[in-house]
Amino acid sequence: MKFITKYIKEVWLAIKSLFVGMRRTGYYFTHHKEIITQEYPDNKDSLILPKRFKGEVVMPHNENNEHRCTGCQACEIACPNGSLKVVTEFNLLENGRKKKAIDKLVYHLELCTMCNLCVEACPSDAIIMDQTFEHSVFDRNELIKVLNKPGSKIMDGVE
Amino acid sequence: MSGSTIIFYLLAAASVVFALLSVTTRQLFRAAIYLLFTLICIAGIYFWLQYEFIAAVQIVVYVGGIVVLIIFSIFLTQQAGEKLAKQKTDRQLLAALAVFAGFIITVLQISRQTFFQTDKTPVPPTMENIGQQMLSVKEGGYALPFEVISILLLAALVGCIVIALKEKKTSTQSIKKEN
Amino acid sequence: MWSFSNIADSIHNGLSQTFNPTVTVILEMVIAGLAVIGLFAMLGLVLVIMERKVSAWMQIRLGPNRVGPKGMLQSFADTLKLLVKEGLTPNGADKFLFNLAPFIAMIVAMLLMAPIAFAKDFQLWDLNIGVLYVSAISSIMVISILMAGWASNNKYSLMGAMRSGAQIVSYELSAGLSILSIVILTGSLKVSTIIQSQADGWWIFKGHIPAIIAFIIFIIAVTAETNRAPFDLAEAESELTAGFHTEYSGMKFALFFLAEYVNVFIVCAIGTILFLGGWMPFHIGHWEGFNHVMDYIPSSIWFFGKTFFLIFIIMWFRWTFPRLRIDQLLNLEWKYLLPISMINVLVITAMAILKWHF
Repeated sequence: MKFITKYIKEVWLAIKSLFVGMRRTGYYFTHHKEIITQEYPDNKDSLILPKRFKGEVVMPHNENNEHRCTGCQACEIACPNGSLKVVTEFNLLENGRKKKAIDKLVYHLELCTMCNLCVEACPSDAIIMDQTFEHSVFDRNELIKVLNKPGSKIMDGVE
Repeated sequence: MSGSTIIFYLLAAASVVFALLSVTTRQLFRAAIYLLFTLICIAGIYFWLQYEFIAAVQIVVYVGGIVVLIIFSIFLTQQAGEKLAKQKTDRQLLAALAVFAGFIITVLQISRQTFFQTDKTPVPPTMENIGQQMLSVKEGGYALPFEVISILLLAALVGCIVIALKEKKTSTQSIKKEN
Repeated sequence: MWSFSNIADSIHNGLSQTFNPTVTVILEMVIAGLAVIGLFAMLGLVLVIMERKVSAWMQIRLGPNRVGPKGMLQSFADTLKLLVKEGLTPNGADKFLFNLAPFIAMIVAMLLMAPIAFAKDFQLWDLNIGVLYVSAISSIMVISILMAGWASNNKYSLMGAMRSGAQIVSYELSAGLSILSIVILTGSLKVSTIIQSQADGWWIFKGHIPAIIAFIIFIIAVTAETNRAPFDLAEAESELTAGFHTEYSGMKFALFFLAEYVNVFIVCAIGTILFLGGWMPFHIGHWEGFNHVMDYIPSSIWFFGKTFFLIFIIMWFRWTFPRLRIDQLLNLEWKYLLPISMINVLVITAMAILKWHF
């Protein structure tokens, strides 16, 4: 007798759980507003990417062509696959001391996995993740980018 | 020659040809497939005779059951696509003789048989009539053979279950002994 | 009034006036064959786009939306692609059987069309044993799959064929038993009699709970018999690449693909005939006005509407449930469906004898 009640209970639970699944898919079938597909090239103008979407690493500059990078190389150390390369130079200050600064921050987009570790590692918030994602180019060399703009220098007050 | 006769001869010829192919081919799987075609041709002859029920049963039992079983056993035992070795000449001769003897016996029997006409009105082979006849206990009914066959099948089923049953008790006993 | 049976009658009359009886019969056979092939092509196109759209909406996607208005011509493009594709035959394959298998699948699907009543008085062959004929012929289907799997000379194909064979052979039992329960209630295997017996209500309503149980078991069993998810072990793209049709390409693959969809249509049509009253309109007791409105809808629309509803349910299964493992599959059949349907047949027999149904 115990066996039969267990058997019926099993069948009942199975049917119930199948109905739960079918209710979910049935809901999606009837509610087309839930569709998450983006018809990408058609909706280029109205495309809204999710807030945490990571496209590429960029270095923001202010209107005076100044950035916040101190050349500390924390990003280079943090990067798991060597996408970032900091080329440093030493500027001579008025008091005779040398100060470390960046000459170039070379960024290999073709190696980057968008893991966001460099942005987290940066002590002065000099680099951020941008949301551009159309990276296709005809030559691989175009993917090697220099993040700091030519002639830019470090912002005042950033150590 | 009417169209109906042409269809009969086509079906008969096809069943004979496929039967010959089935015993002469050297690939086992193909032999099974030719056998299948022979059986389907025989089912076709039943359809031609308008014995639809027998035709459907022929297909269910032979095609759906037995041929599938044969194919499964070929799958489990044979290497794919391998041809069977050619038989020795004396064996081939012997087999041909046996087949020929069987053929002669059949032809002799048929030629000796005197077919006589009955004045009974034929019973239409509908489902209802077949079912009634199968379970009728009057004269000419098939209730006893039907029940005997049912018991035979039941015995076969029970036998299958007994063979397939795991021997739980003995295994637990042996474990206990080991402990 | 415009109806399929009127068209068939007018064709018959027109032909018999101009030709002698033999030629008329031959011409009618040709017309029926062409009509079946045309229906196949239509079903292939419609069911493929339906499947893709249903699957997309159930998975919160858009589905095909580029070819034609709202992507509705996508299946035409697919068909064109398959037609012009090269049909390869692998070197190690048994070439005769390899090329024969898709045609057997197709011929079986065509033979199964014969006893289906598409509309009132519109049926190719109303034979005495209609339902038994369907279950007999559909058992040949497994042969084509086994043949394709063996002849491909490929381990995935062979495994797919073996799984499919085990699956179809075991699920045929419970499908047969659930068909049998309606045959017991009707007392006939003839399709037209089964439909006529539902003039005052469909069996799923007239047969109380046992008929509903039989219907559910029937749907599960035919989903398994047509090798569709959650019972698609024979194809199982993630394990066996594509199962028995791994080696097929081009038109030969298309025939298998089409046969699968046509089989889905056929089993749903059989389910409609047995449980949902075939082309019978939906009637409620003594609501004369409502019944008259329902009668006004043509019988072919009733039949195709119900059939496509069942097809939709089977698609719903496919895009909701994950694939079963082979042991789960056999457990489901031998430990659950078969005992339940056996007891169900007993209950229905008692019901038919005591006249408890309406």
